[in-house]
Amino acid sequence: MNTRIKQILEEGAVDKVLAYKAVQGFLLPWMFTRENAAELEPWEPNGARYPVVKLLLAEVRKNPHANLGILVRGCEERAVRELVKWRQINPQRLVIVGQACDENLAEHCECWKPYPDQLDYGTACEPIRESRRVAELDAMKREVRLDWWLKQLNRCIHCHGCRDVCPVCFCTECSLEHVDLIPAGKLPPDNSFHLVRAVHMAGRCIDCGLCEEVCPARIPLRALYKKVNDLVEGIFAYKTGGPGDKSPFTLLGEELVLPLNDR
Amino acid sequence: MTLKGEDVVGSAMVVGGGIAGVQAALDLADGGYFVYLVESSPAIGGVMAQLDKTFPTNDCSMCILSPKLVDVGRHPNIQLLTESKVEGVEGRAGRFQVRVRKKPRYIDLSKCTACGDCAQVCPVSLESEFEQGLSMRKAVYKPYAQAIPGAYTIDKRDRSPCTNACPNQVNAHGYVALIARGQYREAMEVILRNLPLPGVIGRICPHPCETACRRGRVDQPLSICALKRFVADRVDLHDIPLPEIKRRDEKVAVIGSGPAGLSAAYFLALEGFGVTIFEALPVAGGMLRVGIPDYRLPPEVLDREILFITRLGVEIKLNKALGRDMTLDDLTAQGYKAVYLSIGAHASLRLNIPGEDADGVIPGVEFLREVNLGERKELRGRVIIVGGGDVAVDAARCARRLGGDEVSLLYRRTRNEMSARENEVQEAKAEGIEIQFLTAPQQILTRNNRVIGLQCVRMELGDPDSSGRRRPIPKPGSEFVIEADWVIPAIGQTPASAFLMEEGVRLSRWGTIETDAITFETSRPGVFAGGDAQSGPWVAIGAIAAGREAAVSIARYLSREDLKAGRQKPPRSQEDFVPIPKDVEKRPRAAMATVSPHQRGSGFAEVEIGLTEEQALAEASKCLNCMACSECLQCVAACKAGAVDHGMEEEFLTLEVGAIIAAPGAATFDPSLKDTFGYGVYPNVVTSIEFERILSASGPFQGHLVRPSDHQEPRRIAWLQCVGSRDVNHCRNGYCSAVCCMCAIKEAVIAKEHSREPLDASIFFIDMRTTGKDFEKYYDCAREEHGIHFVRSRIHSVERIDENDNLLLRYVTEDGLAHEEEFDMVVLSVGLEVSPEVSELAARLGIQVGDERYATTSPFAPVSTSRPGIFVCGTFQGPKDIPQSVMEASAAAAETSAILASARGSRAHRVEEVATRDISQEEPRVGVFICHCGINIGSVVDVPAVKEYAKTLPHVVYAEENLFTCSQDTQVRMQEVIRDQRLNRIVVASCTPRTHEALFQQTILGAGLNKYLFELANIRDQDSWVHQAFPEEATAKAKDLVRMAVARVVLQSPIEEIKLPVVRSALVVGGGVSGMEAALALADQGYPVTLIERKDVLGGHARKLLTAWTGDKIRPYLDALVERVQQHPGVSVLKRATLEAVRGFVGNFCSTVLVDGKTLEVHHGVAILAVGAHSFKPSEYGYGRSPRIFQNLELDEAIQNRNTLVFEASSVVFIQCVGSREPERPYCSRVCCSHSIENALRLKEINPSVDVFILYRDIRTFGLRENLYKEARSKGVLFIRFDVECKPEVEEAQDGLIVSVYDPILQRKVLLRADILTLATAIETRELESLARMFKVPLNAEGFFLEAHMKLRPVDFATEGVFVAGLAHWPKPIEECIAQAKAAASRASTVLSREFIAAGGVTASINKELCVGCQACLECCPFGAINEVQQEANCEVNQALCKGCGTCAATCPSEAITLWGFSNRQLYRQIDEALSA
Amino acid sequence: MVTKRFEPKILAFLCNWCSYAGADLAGVSRLQYPFNIRVIRVMCSGSVSPHHILHAFQKGADGVLIGGCHIGDCHYLKGNYMTMKRVAFLKELLNFTGYEPERLRLEWISAAEGRKFARTVRDFTEQIRALGPAISFDAVPLALNFG
Repeated sequence: MNTRIKQILEEGAVDKVLAYKAVQGFLLPWMFTRENAAELEPWEPNGARYPVVKLLLAEVRKNPHANLGILVRGCEERAVRELVKWRQINPQRLVIVGQACDENLAEHCECWKPYPDQLDYGTACEPIRESRRVAELDAMKREVRLDWWLKQLNRCIHCHGCRDVCPVCFCTECSLEHVDLIPAGKLPPDNSFHLVRAVHMAGRCIDCGLCEEVCPARIPLRALYKKVNDLVEGIFAYKTGGPGDKSPFTLLGEELVLPLNDR
Repeated sequence: MTLKGEDVVGSAMVVGGGIAGVQAALDLADGGYFVYLVESSPAIGGVMAQLDKTFPTNDCSMCILSPKLVDVGRHPNIQLLTESKVEGVEGRAGRFQVRVRKKPRYIDLSKCTACGDCAQVCPVSLESEFEQGLSMRKAVYKPYAQAIPGAYTIDKRDRSPCTNACPNQVNAHGYVALIARGQYREAMEVILRNLPLPGVIGRICPHPCETACRRGRVDQPLSICALKRFVADRVDLHDIPLPEIKRRDEKVAVIGSGPAGLSAAYFLALEGFGVTIFEALPVAGGMLRVGIPDYRLPPEVLDREILFITRLGVEIKLNKALGRDMTLDDLTAQGYKAVYLSIGAHASLRLNIPGEDADGVIPGVEFLREVNLGERKELRGRVIIVGGGDVAVDAARCARRLGGDEVSLLYRRTRNEMSARENEVQEAKAEGIEIQFLTAPQQILTRNNRVIGLQCVRMELGDPDSSGRRRPIPKPGSEFVIEADWVIPAIGQTPASAFLMEEGVRLSRWGTIETDAITFETSRPGVFAGGDAQSGPWVAIGAIAAGREAAVSIARYLSREDLKAGRQKPPRSQEDFVPIPKDVEKRPRAAMATVSPHQRGSGFAEVEIGLTEEQALAEASKCLNCMACSECLQCVAACKAGAVDHGMEEEFLTLEVGAIIAAPGAATFDPSLKDTFGYGVYPNVVTSIEFERILSASGPFQGHLVRPSDHQEPRRIAWLQCVGSRDVNHCRNGYCSAVCCMCAIKEAVIAKEHSREPLDASIFFIDMRTTGKDFEKYYDCAREEHGIHFVRSRIHSVERIDENDNLLLRYVTEDGLAHEEEFDMVVLSVGLEVSPEVSELAARLGIQVGDERYATTSPFAPVSTSRPGIFVCGTFQGPKDIPQSVMEASAAAAETSAILASARGSRAHRVEEVATRDISQEEPRVGVFICHCGINIGSVVDVPAVKEYAKTLPHVVYAEENLFTCSQDTQVRMQEVIRDQRLNRIVVASCTPRTHEALFQQTILGAGLNKYLFELANIRDQDSWVHQAFPEEATAKAKDLVRMAVARVVLQSPIEEIKLPVVRSALVVGGGVSGMEAALALADQGYPVTLIERKDVLGGHARKLLTAWTGDKIRPYLDALVERVQQHPGVSVLKRATLEAVRGFVGNFCSTVLVDGKTLEVHHGVAILAVGAHSFKPSEYGYGRSPRIFQNLELDEAIQNRNTLVFEASSVVFIQCVGSREPERPYCSRVCCSHSIENALRLKEINPSVDVFILYRDIRTFGLRENLYKEARSKGVLFIRFDVECKPEVEEAQDGLIVSVYDPILQRKVLLRADILTLATAIETRELESLARMFKVPLNAEGFFLEAHMKLRPVDFATEGVFVAGLAHWPKPIEECIAQAKAAASRASTVLSREFIAAGGVTASINKELCVGCQACLECCPFGAINEVQQEANCEVNQALCKGCGTCAATCPSEAITLWGFSNRQLYRQIDEALSA
Repeated sequence: MVTKRFEPKILAFLCNWCSYAGADLAGVSRLQYPFNIRVIRVMCSGSVSPHHILHAFQKGADGVLIGGCHIGDCHYLKGNYMTMKRVAFLKELLNFTGYEPERLRLEWISAAEGRKFARTVRDFTEQIRALGPAISFDAVPLALNFG
């Protein structure tokens, strides 16, 4: 099962591979090299997920000339692709090994593509086309939705966990810490905190859901970001994490692909 | 041609301020020359300023033009001469002397703030030329909102005939205009400027003004005199404030209180003199009092006005007669320093017939005096008055009132010669007075020395006498007697002046006082005279004029000034008046009501009652405003800046320039001249220019698409093409105007967009000529997506449908069928033509023009005129669109620069470097200057409150208010304050930064502050002007705006501009005609050029061409060109060379060139891409299968080689649009129609009997090429049209070819036997991608280079320092290639002429600490100004390329980018302050 | 008791070349419009980031107007394309989080469209007046949240 990872290490295609290792019964992300390739164990997919792409990015920044490999799920492959588009990872120095998610996880995530294109392990299961959570929110009257969101967002403890875990948050200076924009030390932060972040994620969020999972206040952030993704797709026909061009928010673009409702 | 040394002047003149002139001026000024831009109208902008949108991009015309105009307006090396005309040119290329006549603007450009207060008060409304007469403007006006110069101007023509005709020059136009606005008091003030007796003169004046009134040409003259009386009756003179008078010590005596004396006294009193009037009679007023009966001039009117005069301090001493009670010496002794004699003419002329001294004979003047003084209250019996003047009629009417039973008037000539006023005579008759004409008295019959009758004789008229009137001759034997009790001779008056001789005052032989004609000084120094006593009996207004003039003389006399200087006025020209509009409604003249004759009885109550207000308003509004400005001077009072100066005079300048560029533009054909299609008659037939204004958002209907007749939205509009073009029947314009097809399509598209209801748009045309870049696609889109109907047809007639003002179009389509169709509106696509004014200019410049009045040029020197050193560009060179005009403008600049290069910089102003203060260690110290802008801000916003508020803001250490912050003195003070208060940031709260930021920045720079430490709060354009009814809120808003500005400027730090050196040489890619011309144009200006050519021969496609469309042979030109390029020391030619790589940016490129297998590096500051194009190799129509089938270029070659197939052909077919206008190449190749026709004509020349058929889709012989088409048709070339769906077919047959085509006129297929067939193949580009990538420039969808802006930057790329020319830009004929090449050189030289490129200012910069190298900025930068720095994995902004839009800053996810002056912190703070109130 | 009419606070970002010039033209033409608007001049509407818009709402703007050149007229070629994209997205985002998207408006106003500017300000002010004060972006203090 780990043959491909071993193979790329042994062939010298990569210097290191980010995969998983069971430590005291828990699968943890682990950096394998030729030296410890033997420690690779049979892969047992389960629900636990880690910000492996974020770890990869840290590795890349530490060691920009290394050739790296990474074992990814569908969302993580999308994250890698975004980072490539945003020039944070050199695709020439990266080998992807892909792993499909199981149906339960796909269902949990309402994932629109629970498998990577580079599918080495597992079987691709049916994607979930539509998010029930978003649909429920969309169905609410706007005023009700506002109350609902205010109730959620006012739990925020301004911990920045959502950002810190996000695989595609790669900036060194974060607008969320710009005191002229988001006053420091205010608890909960003003609502523009989450809106500013949502704006930043538009065209970048790859819907991994780690932000929601990591949020100590249990703010249903994934619903927000699923909607952000829906909007980007609906307005610009752009699917984040796909191959091809960068986010419509950075490309000047042609008139033909612009939203026309404001003209 | 390069001129050398001292012979050359480093300045140039551009004549014409349209887009071509503007571009030429900017290129030259940017290239280091001083430019005079001469424009005949008050503002630059030309026709382009009037356009709504521009094709094919639908850009807002004004939006793209306006920044260029602003650049011209503030360019230190362009002097704008508006309302100016070139009078003549002397000298030669390199050093011309140009005489320029500059009309006065009457507005000081340096003071005008364009606030428009003057226009608010101006009473004169005229049709706006800019709006094509669809709306009105004032006589003081700005032609359009964005006009440059951004100042008002006064439209003042020749003096209005009414004013001019008045002996006293009373400004009738002025007061009439004010009456029309109901401004009676102001009207009165205008009258009082020249006339202190308005009520009097308004009653008794014979009003020559009305005789002169041009309204008489429409219906009847205005009742000007009655209007004056209306005002005088209406306005209480006591309401007129006393002017401030500076008293003087000198006293003046005025003898006589008649109109002359009163006038002199009044004007002398205004000058501050102490004036005493001595009056011989017991009452004041002279003849006005005692010579005019009360029913015509009520005494209270006169009293009122005399009182008005005495209010100024004039004293009147009654019963004091000179000669009787005192002498002139007595007056001198009493301290009078000057005397004015206005003693009138109170003695009657005698009849000199027997019986004249009998009782019952009363001289007319005496009689009137007695009546007026109340001495004679009755006159019973039969009364005969002798005379035909006003005195006679007055006497008759008085006699009637005093009880005369039978009153008759005898006059020796006829009614026609009678000098009495018409209405007086009418009134007299109505009152029962009998008039006997051609009757003269011979003897007064008396009994006991008492009148009993009068013997008369009948007269007849003989030859004219010295007065021009026919002399009466007694008819012998016609004597008869009239019984009479009273005879009143009233044949004339004379002064009683004999006593003056003793006083040393010389008299004429008629007894009048002799004076100087201008100064009115008598023979005795210090004594002046006027009025009837000096002139002989004349009208009162003449006496008043004399008094006014004498007052001037006396004032000068007493000030010991020259009495005459400047007073002899040449007669005023009376030619240039506002044209009488065509649609003036005829209205009768207002007549005053009168008391009916039977009510008049014996009373002396006033007969005429005066106009009602309603009448007066209606009458005044009929004024045609002949002079435009009425000189009412309301603007002078309204202008708080003191910018209005009606005393400005015409200037004549002689300017020295090295070269002249004529860009006067073309006019549009006026369809009203020939009554074409009902224009000018049917309201809903408009021209395309009018339609542009109708569409324009700033136009007369605010962009609301309505038709003129009822302002309803049209549902169906027709455009008629070729109105005034391709037409020698209605006009002399046989050529095609080249722009109208696209213009009509654009208008139809925009109209459909504007229309709320679905709009049916149809364009009626002959050939659709969409040859320019992207035009064909625009046409396709209009047809297919917008659903515009294109009807190939001939218009027969346009008729109005009376019920609904719709228009019925009758036309014939190609198939010969007649149609009728109804439209709501018709737009005439009027063609271009050279106006008579421009033809005159051409004559004055001494340049040749062709038959069609366009400037003569050669295709190989497309912007050179017949006179060396004078160049031409734009539509005066030939009809063309904007991009072509702009290209030619730059080309003309290049030609100019080539001859003036040795003097470059010699006349240009250098910008002085100012050292700025280092403020890095200083706390912000903000100074705030708040402007009242006259009353523009101050009347709404509480400026003092804003000032006090500003002082409370953090960091503000100083605040002040100014009447005009932009005035020169305030600028000076601002600099002082900056130094004194050690201010380091400045806020001005006034108008808009768009017009004034640069000015204030210069000011603070002058005080040593970095110019970016400045902020403008727009409290006028966006506050006081738009919240006029809300002073409190507007004040609050002004405070907010000031607070926002202060918050922002506090965070502002100095921005340094950096200087990047320029490598002053060029790289030209491509060795065809375009490349060579560009290279030479630069090398001639002294810049080294590297020219690289892929092949081993120079010349490109031109080697294959025989002639230009004009018939000029190309080969000799080309050989000479190649020779010059190869010999030119400044050009290094690299053949067999290809470009491998390019790095760097404007001013500093480095290219790697591969030559014969070796690489070399070329450093250059600019690059011109002129790599050309290719002809498309067709696979259709059997091409390649028969030697009888040619491409056009191959036919050229075959003709040159005397190919027998060609020379022996008896039948020849051309097929057009081969590969062009097809889905794969959806564009017109522009040159092929002309080329095929040229070749057709060549074949006809070789063999006149050859049959030539040209199968075409549209014949596109644009511009003057239309003449070729005409010639071909006249020589028997047959043209058969085909549709793209139904293309011709070609078959090979024995000894030839058979071409079959469906003829839409015959409506059947025709078979043509052809010996040879020529295919007009498309022009296409090949493999431009790598070149495009190397220079970071884009290609369009068809694979041609895409310039920075299709209209206004046709040879520039968005990437600075890279330019395009020739076929790689778009298919075009050789003369356009040459023009474009020179244009590219011109644009390039604006870079190369600089030692440094200033970079920085408001640009973006990336904080490398924060940049994560995501390259989002790089991708969103429209100018390719951001590069990746490989080693550092982040990005940086190239300051030289950045234009400062800030898009990157808003895109950067890391907030690593700052747009200087617009940082996020500044914006956040501004937002905070905007919302904190 | 007299209730004071609600006067909305409206912030506008206008690009220097077209919309700001259009606003100036409205002034030159003396076209009257409500005084509620406060204008911030930017070089290009493309430099208005969503942060600026959100910050304005955060600081209490009842409406935010962005004025740019018509598509194709941009002085910087395509800056307004970016504006269009950002605003289209942001309006939807506001809507989804429960805020009224009508409070954000994008208009293309050319330098010649003084009338359009005045009309836009009138319309927008009336529209915002009808909507009433904007819902605050301020967070609800934590203590209340627990209650």
